[in-house]
Amino acid sequence: MRTRNANLSKTGRRAAPLVALGLAGAALLSACSSSTSAPTTTTTAPPGGTLSSGNAAFLAADLKAPAGTFNASGSTFVQPFFNSAFFKYTSLNQGLQVNYQGVGSGAGITAFEGGSVAFAASDVPMGASDLAKVPAASGPVVQIPDILGGVAIAYNLPGVTGRVRLDAPTLAGIFDGTITTWNASQITALNPGVTLPAHVITPEVRADSSGTTYIFTDYLKSANPTAWTLGTSKTIAWPAGFAQTPKNSGVAASILSSPYSIGYVELSYAIKNNMTYAKVKNSAGTYVVPSLATVAADADQKTNVSATDFSIVNQPGATSYPISGYSWAILLQKQTSATTGAQVVKVLDWTTHTGGGQDLATALDYVMLPPAVQNQNRIQLLTVTGPTGQTLLTK
Amino acid sequence: MTAVLDVPVDPNVERRLAVQAAASSSLRRRKMGSVVAMGVCWLFLAIAIVPLVAVVVYVTSKGLSAWTTDFFTKSTTPEGVAGGGVWNAIVGTVVITTIATAVAVPLGLLCGLFLAESDGRAAQALRFTADVMTGIPSITVGIFGYIAIVRNFGYSGLAGSFAVGFIMLPVIIRAGETAFRGVPRSLNEAAMALGARRATIARRVVVPTALPGVITGVLLAIARGLGETAPLLLTIFGNQYLQWNPTKPMAALPTLIYSYSGQPYADLVQVAWGAALLLMAVVLVLSIGSRLLAAYLRKERR
Amino acid sequence: MTTVEMPVPRQARKRDRWSLPDNGYRGMLAVTAVAFVALAVWFLVAVILQAAPAFSTLGFGWIFGGVWNPSHGQYGLLPFIVGTLESTAIAVALAFPIGLGTAISLAFLVPARIRPYLSTAVELLAAVPSVVYGLWGLIVLAPIFRDTVEPVLTSVFGWTGLFNGPNNGPSLLLAGVILFIMILPTMVAISRDVLIVVPVEQVEGAMALGATRWQVLRKVVLPGARTGILGAFTLATGRALGETVAVAMVIGNSPYLAHSLKSSAATIPSLIVNNFPESTGTELSALFGAGLVLLVIGTLVNSAARWLVWSTGQENAGIGVGR
Repeated sequence: MRTRNANLSKTGRRAAPLVALGLAGAALLSACSSSTSAPTTTTTAPPGGTLSSGNAAFLAADLKAPAGTFNASGSTFVQPFFNSAFFKYTSLNQGLQVNYQGVGSGAGITAFEGGSVAFAASDVPMGASDLAKVPAASGPVVQIPDILGGVAIAYNLPGVTGRVRLDAPTLAGIFDGTITTWNASQITALNPGVTLPAHVITPEVRADSSGTTYIFTDYLKSANPTAWTLGTSKTIAWPAGFAQTPKNSGVAASILSSPYSIGYVELSYAIKNNMTYAKVKNSAGTYVVPSLATVAADADQKTNVSATDFSIVNQPGATSYPISGYSWAILLQKQTSATTGAQVVKVLDWTTHTGGGQDLATALDYVMLPPAVQNQNRIQLLTVTGPTGQTLLTK
Repeated sequence: MTAVLDVPVDPNVERRLAVQAAASSSLRRRKMGSVVAMGVCWLFLAIAIVPLVAVVVYVTSKGLSAWTTDFFTKSTTPEGVAGGGVWNAIVGTVVITTIATAVAVPLGLLCGLFLAESDGRAAQALRFTADVMTGIPSITVGIFGYIAIVRNFGYSGLAGSFAVGFIMLPVIIRAGETAFRGVPRSLNEAAMALGARRATIARRVVVPTALPGVITGVLLAIARGLGETAPLLLTIFGNQYLQWNPTKPMAALPTLIYSYSGQPYADLVQVAWGAALLLMAVVLVLSIGSRLLAAYLRKERR
Repeated sequence: MTTVEMPVPRQARKRDRWSLPDNGYRGMLAVTAVAFVALAVWFLVAVILQAAPAFSTLGFGWIFGGVWNPSHGQYGLLPFIVGTLESTAIAVALAFPIGLGTAISLAFLVPARIRPYLSTAVELLAAVPSVVYGLWGLIVLAPIFRDTVEPVLTSVFGWTGLFNGPNNGPSLLLAGVILFIMILPTMVAISRDVLIVVPVEQVEGAMALGATRWQVLRKVVLPGARTGILGAFTLATGRALGETVAVAMVIGNSPYLAHSLKSSAATIPSLIVNNFPESTGTELSALFGAGLVLLVIGTLVNSAARWLVWSTGQENAGIGVGR
């Protein structure tokens, strides 16, 4: 049973579990032979779930992966986190080196389809058309979330102090070109007491294919089902007159150097570049500032994510920041090499759990995976087998 | 220098004076035209220096603070871990560019000699091909390297050398041909008159005389090769760790700059600028070194 | 063309032992030429093979469509073709005179003592990686262009219709200027080298006839260096046509036809670099098709330059070792 407590403090979510229950993962847990604590429900159970016990044992075993090195590639968003996590992992298990390169989600998937990397990372999981390109002989594909992030709406408004408040219809209007000036009635209505300049808005968007674009447009579509017509995709046909720049860093630099511009960037860029970003109205009607805590609150509301149901935008909850999304690690379920397979699952297991790589997330402005999601990841990784059918993730 | 007009002695002094006046006013006009033209050349030089100074100052101001001992001696570390550097990228760049240069320079110069010596249909077609090849986008070269090498043999430094060499080759060919064509015909004909073979003429007359131009062309090509990003992005994959073996994925300075400059973390961005400054410094050293070399060789021959 | 056959004295023959016989030498050169051509053909075939699916599915007209919107099956390349040509034109229109003028200054006007320093300084520009130019252009130049340069240009040249619309930072104009800076070292360095090697007797002869410096340049040096300057021009233009990363950062990446120099635009290389990583199927083939179109453009530009030089008459100052 899922429990919800909208007034739960963020420290409550992270505190050591007294009484535990994973959320929807509980159903899977009870079906699995290596299930852990007995399901009990209390009103103080954190919505993000609690880590199953036995985590420490798995983590210890993860650090005993065989020596060697392997390549992985994909999302540039997770690159700093992965580099940090894998570096820490190698310092604890010196024989194993992981060479992860952020070449772009699509390039990573292409490399994975071609067999040149041991696992791929993508901001959007592989869909049916991508999966069709994996050779049938390679078998099914396992996709697990590896980290969580949010998308901030950053802007450059000279002379305006404090955070501008925006909601879904207004954002849709700005980014499809129907709202063109900062002092349009839709924007001023949301910001009483703030003098907005009568200047043209310059929307700053991505020129290249991007998971950030996907999450942002997913939010716009989910919150404006009829009004948002430009679709949900990594590449959008933006209206003429929008400034298009490649990469998050390009958009951030563009916003910082163009007065009266507004754009969407990954939260870490907005924070690290000291950008001004908007408060966005979530589905509960509260204006929320994007932060590690509010993104986590949004993710906690829906932890039963999978590769076919991965959107977590616009979740309920008073503190949820609605524009959030996971990034995903993708690997083959049937590994052809027992050594590499063991290396990959153990590294991924270590990276996606508290006590392992996830501990490094906050310092880099990433959001940790909710415990329930971590539990699910382990269940998924336990299904990965070697050439003789043996389970590779051992305790 | 004044023009001296050889005017036959004419009893009509007026006519002589008139002609001299016309000559000197024509001279004045021509001199003014020359002064204006030279002034324009100086102006253009000044205009060319402005972006140079701006870019160098900008890169230096952003990158110099990254130049610590660790920067040059340690491999890359992730954000949050101090004491990292770009040593693995330096090694990668040196290995990749050296291999690319070692293949592209001899091949390119020989093609340049071939083109300089003949003007037949084949040579014209070749010259045209080289010209068009200089216009191929670096990303397309990278994609070609991916299709040709990576798909068959995996990511490696050699695939990167292939792509970089592909970009360097037409530059060397054209610059080399231009330099070889600058050798005066008279020198060659004198050598032939002495009975020298073609190969001897090439080795002892053409190449040494054209050497300064050849060195410039090779230097430009190497500078280009050092800084090219797109061909490497798709071929070398990159490496967080030190790797000397060119058959494996390697790191390189341009791809490191491309990747780190796109990060939100200020210290990684700073490493990127430090690496950019390093590339400029390397070319500076190569440029000075090549001038010294050319001067030394010229003295040797005299 | 006559070859001189003379009996070779003993001493010369000894030195000659270390040289390839003429046939071997020519053979070696021919082999390298063939190797180069093979490489070019391999490249061409690879690109054509990858582009073929787009042409077989969509025919040929799609190239000239005005909209690039893969999700609607539109792969129009016209905005990118025009953007490529315009940005290259700006770059070359600036780089040719300024580069040549700088080369003349470096070759003849600058005092010999500081000549090597200035030459090295200009060559340094060639070392700056593409991405650094992009960043510098975006962070430093774009605001200057938006706030100062573009308003000035609009007030002076607005009547030409080239400067309509609002003042943008990233634009065709900015991309053209960044490209100009990037190709300047090539233009300067190679031109300077060919200007220096014009035979000194011809220069002195002209001066003895009373020609001014400019006349010497115009009538003797530049014509003599004509083919070399064409070579520099070709290399510079090639670089401008193919420049990818820097342009993608400063041109605004608008997939629509640019109406003025101040508007955002896109080029074929920027289109490829922005879309290649994620593209599949028809879109991927279309990107290769775009690469082919760029090759055609490059061919046309080179032919035009060649014809221009040839039609204004020139003497081939080649080494002419033998035909």
